[in-house]
Parts: sequence; structure tokens; C-alpha cells
Amino acid sequence: MRIGLVLPSGDEAAAAHRAERHGLFGVLVEGTSPGAEAVVAGLVAPVTASVRILLRVPLGSEHPVTLAEEVSVLDNASGGRVVVVADTADLDAEAAVEDLELLRRALSARPVRHVGARWRFPAALHPDVPERLTVTPEPAQVAVPVWLTGEAGASVAARTGLPHVAQDPASCSSADFVQPGVTTLSGHLDADRDFVLRWAAAGATHLLVRLPAGQRIEDVLGLVSRYLQPEVSMPSFPRIIAESKPPDPWRHGIATT
Amino acid sequence: MRFGVGLWCLQGTATSPRHHIQAYRELREDALLVEELGYESVWLSEHHFFYDGYCPALLPTAATVLGATTRLRVGTGMLLLPLQRADRVATAAVELAERSGGRLDLGTGLGYRDTEFDGKGVPRSERVARHRAGLDAVATTAARSPLEVWVGSATPAGIARAGARGLGVLLSGANPLSLVEELAVASRQGWVQAGRPGGRRPAVAALRNVWVTDDPAERRSVLDWFRASYVLYAGLGWSVAATGDTPAMDFRRQADEAIQSAVDTAIIGSPDTVIQGLRDVAAAGVDYVIFRVLLEGVDRRALHDVLRRLAADVMPALRDVVPPDEPAIERAPVPDRGTA
Repeated sequence: MRIGLVLPSGDEAAAAHRAERHGLFGVLVEGTSPGAEAVVAGLVAPVTASVRILLRVPLGSEHPVTLAEEVSVLDNASGGRVVVVADTADLDAEAAVEDLELLRRALSARPVRHVGARWRFPAALHPDVPERLTVTPEPAQVAVPVWLTGEAGASVAARTGLPHVAQDPASCSSADFVQPGVTTLSGHLDADRDFVLRWAAAGATHLLVRLPAGQRIEDVLGLVSRYLQPEVSMPSFPRIIAESKPPDPWRHGIATT
Repeated sequence: MRFGVGLWCLQGTATSPRHHIQAYRELREDALLVEELGYESVWLSEHHFFYDGYCPALLPTAATVLGATTRLRVGTGMLLLPLQRADRVATAAVELAERSGGRLDLGTGLGYRDTEFDGKGVPRSERVARHRAGLDAVATTAARSPLEVWVGSATPAGIARAGARGLGVLLSGANPLSLVEELAVASRQGWVQAGRPGGRRPAVAALRNVWVTDDPAERRSVLDWFRASYVLYAGLGWSVAATGDTPAMDFRRQADEAIQSAVDTAIIGSPDTVIQGLRDVAAAGVDYVIFRVLLEGVDRRALHDVLRRLAADVMPALRDVVPPDEPAIERAPVPDRGTA
């Protein structure tokens, strides 16, 4: 199981940079105001090089094609590191399925034509416009991963076969190839070790963790990278490795005392 | 006089192919150089559903530059406001302006391609009304924020309306100097007639096709890069209506003529030649020049070299140049043609 960080609101870019230095697989950008998700992800992209940028995309907040354009731009700007976490937000399952389908088709690099209850693309409002349009630029990745969250997320996942972000271990399915989850850590080693092991045993493949209130991000990231991630990276992790004294930090030409 | 650079469009074209990852990486590299050389800003451009991947999402792109730089401003020239939910644009832009220390210039425009309006489900006929409503939404959300808002238009009426709001304007590089002057006057007139909102005359910025070189061979290449750049507009189907003494420029129906007219605006030559050309631009009422040097086919070393030459040999001579105070402000009021 891989552990990632839900970026706390504030200086997300700095937090993402720290998460990357601790080897976390990804960071989730949630955003606090409409449209902020994509610009915060844009700030995160240039200060990181390896972490996956999980972008919360609130369905219904814009035309799905506009949302797809933002995803694709960010995917190219980050060198192909974007994962869409589609939030059904205020939409019911029926509406969310339609928005999601148009968004995913828009990311396909195919000419798209969509006629549904909520959207018609192209809208056929003007003469001489082609019947199908290709949304550009195409994403950098072969296919942008799409996970689901939100009130109707489980229902939409069941209809689309896409991964659903579980809120507790009991909601995980070990039969699915990708089973993400999200939770909040306590900041206490023993409790959090048991906690992530429960998620791993339930079949989670990716666990996004929120920082516990009042804890310093560096302390929590240290807890994750030194103890929690190794614990869930193999069955029966030999704890002596994490609990032994770290190697000397001496670097050539740099005094450490 | 203030100086910026543009327009980054993030394309990979038929005649200058590249991967889009490379395009976005080069944007950040270029921006760092532009910042180091002392320019004030870089400017981005938006289109949709075009084969070359022309950037369709300017705020996330601006964020990638603002996240990589510390002093440089980033402008959208132009974000096509009628094609998006203006309240969402406003909150995202304010968020980005606040997180970047007030370094975002939100330039907004109408858009003109039927295909883009159709793709977003917006009747093109509603673009002016949607732009006005959008600017209202932005103004409401941006009050007490460090966000700078600009407007792009090629008509005196549209420019005057921006002036009446106290907003700066960004003029196209294809505009001949006669039109630039007319639009600069319209900006001042709109501002004065509205009672000078904000108390400070809004800036007039203009893209200008500029290149410093003493080499005849480089000059020939540069002219061809300008030509190739404006072929794009033939593909996009851009046109500018006739206004005042300036004839129409129709890249769709009279492509060769329009391309040549745009290329004719270029100021190419020695530093002294370019300095004199830019003094003429200032005399036309322009406060802020955006050097339009991101050209189709341009070699990146040549691009970086001209950025260095402009910064070293041209900009210092023009720092203290200001446009004349309220030129020709006694001209007849600008009629509202209801176009832009």
C-alpha cells in the first residue's frame, strides 16, 4: 500500500514539496474555493518532480470540457503526474455519471460528440461548426487515472467501474486492482501503525492521510516515511530497521556538529 | 515605460512540433530568464479545440509560472471570460493573486471563434453581455484583493468601456500604430467621461512585434517568423473590423493582406532603431509594451538572445519615457457600437 498526503490548506506547495522529500507517492489538492483546486495544483507542479498530484475535481462546478482542459494542462505541466479525484459534489448519481463521461471522453484525444440530459457537445448553436470536436491539448499520460469521491461516488463507481475512495477499511474491496482510501492520522505511532495496517489488510492500495490537528507537518511526514510506509510496504516488516539509529547525516565537505 | 514579454501559447505546431510537456517546461525556463533579466511580466494566450494544443486553461498555467518565480508578474492575454463561469474564474484568480503576492494580471477578452463558443455551449451573440457580467462578478470578488484586471479589445467602444471601469487595456500586436493611438485615446476618454474611477489613469499596454538585430540575414528570418506567426490567425479565422482611419484586417478572407499588414507593424533593427520605434509607441499613448517575440519557428537561443539584448540595450533607454498626458482627449466622445 502507498501512502499519500491530503494537503492542508494554506501553503500547499511547500507541504507538497516536503511530502515529496519524504517519499510519499502523492498529494491531494482539495481547494477551498470554486476553481481554486486547479490553481493550487498549478502552484504545486513546479515545486515537485515525482509525487502524483491528485486533483479534486468537483463535478458540476463547470462545463466538463472546461474541467478536462484544466486537467490536461496540469497533466502536461507536471510531466504526466495528475490523478483526477472526481467529486460528485452536489450532483446526484445520474447527473454525475453524465458529467464524468463527458469529462473522460474529453481527455481521450478523440473527436467527441455528446448529447445528454445536461450537456450537448458541441452545442450546435452556430453554423459551420463540426459535429465533433477534439479537446486539446491531449493529456501527457496514456490515460489519466480517475478516482471517485463524494456522496454519490460509490454509486457512480458501481456504474462506471472506476475506483472509489473509501472512507474506512470496511468499505475497501481487495478484489479491485486500485482501491484508494482516505483517513486522518492521530500522530501517535502505535495507534497509527495499527490503523494503516488495518487499511492494508482490508485491501487498500493507496491511502491518503490528513494531518492530525495541532501536529507539525514535518513530524507527521517523518512518522509516515520512517514507520508507517515501511510497515505497509511488505508483510511482517522487520521493525528493527525503522527503530534503529538513523545513519550519520555527514555529507562530504559539510560539518554536522 | 514598462516592459513584459508574450505571448506564450504552449503549442506544438505543424511546422514547429514539440511535446506539450516540453512546451510547459520551456515556459517555466523562459519565465525564469525573463525574471532574471528584469522584465515585469510574461503573458499567456488562450484558445480551444485547436489541433496544436493551444493553451485552453490560463489560470492553472499562470499558477505553474507563479509557483516557479518570485518577482515576475504573469498576465492572461486574454482569458476568454464569456466561455467560463465568471464567478469561478473570479474566485480562482483572487486565490492565485493572493497566494502569489499579487503577481497575477487577469486580462479578459471576448473570444471570437464560433467553434469555441459552440464547444462551451455559449451563443456567440451573448459574448458582450457575458463579458460585462463577468467583469462585474470579478470586480465584486476582487474588491480588496491584489488582483489586477485588464481588458482586451480592438474597438474604441470596448476599450472605452474598460476605461470607464478604471481597468487597464491590452492591445493586439497586429494593430497598426494608428489604431493603437485611437484605442489609447478611447481608454482615456472612457476613464475621464466616467469621472476618473480609481483616481489613477488606467494603463494602456500593447503587444508590439519587436526584434533587435543588426544582421540582415537574421532580419529576414525574423520577418518570416512574424509571417508564420500570423498564419496561425488565418487558421483561427481572426478578423478586426475597420475603425477610424484603420482598414479592416481579415485573416480569414484576406489572409495574405492581413498577415502582411500585421508584419508591417514590426520594429526590427539596431537598438537605436528599436528605441526610436518604441518612443513612437509611447507617443501613441502606450505605457506598457509587451514584446511579442514568441514566434512560430523562432530558435530558442535566438529568443533568449533577443530577450537579453532588449533588456540590456533597449529597456534602460526607455525607463523614464511616459506617454503624453491625455493626448487628444478633446476628440469627440466614443460611440458605443455594442460590439466589444
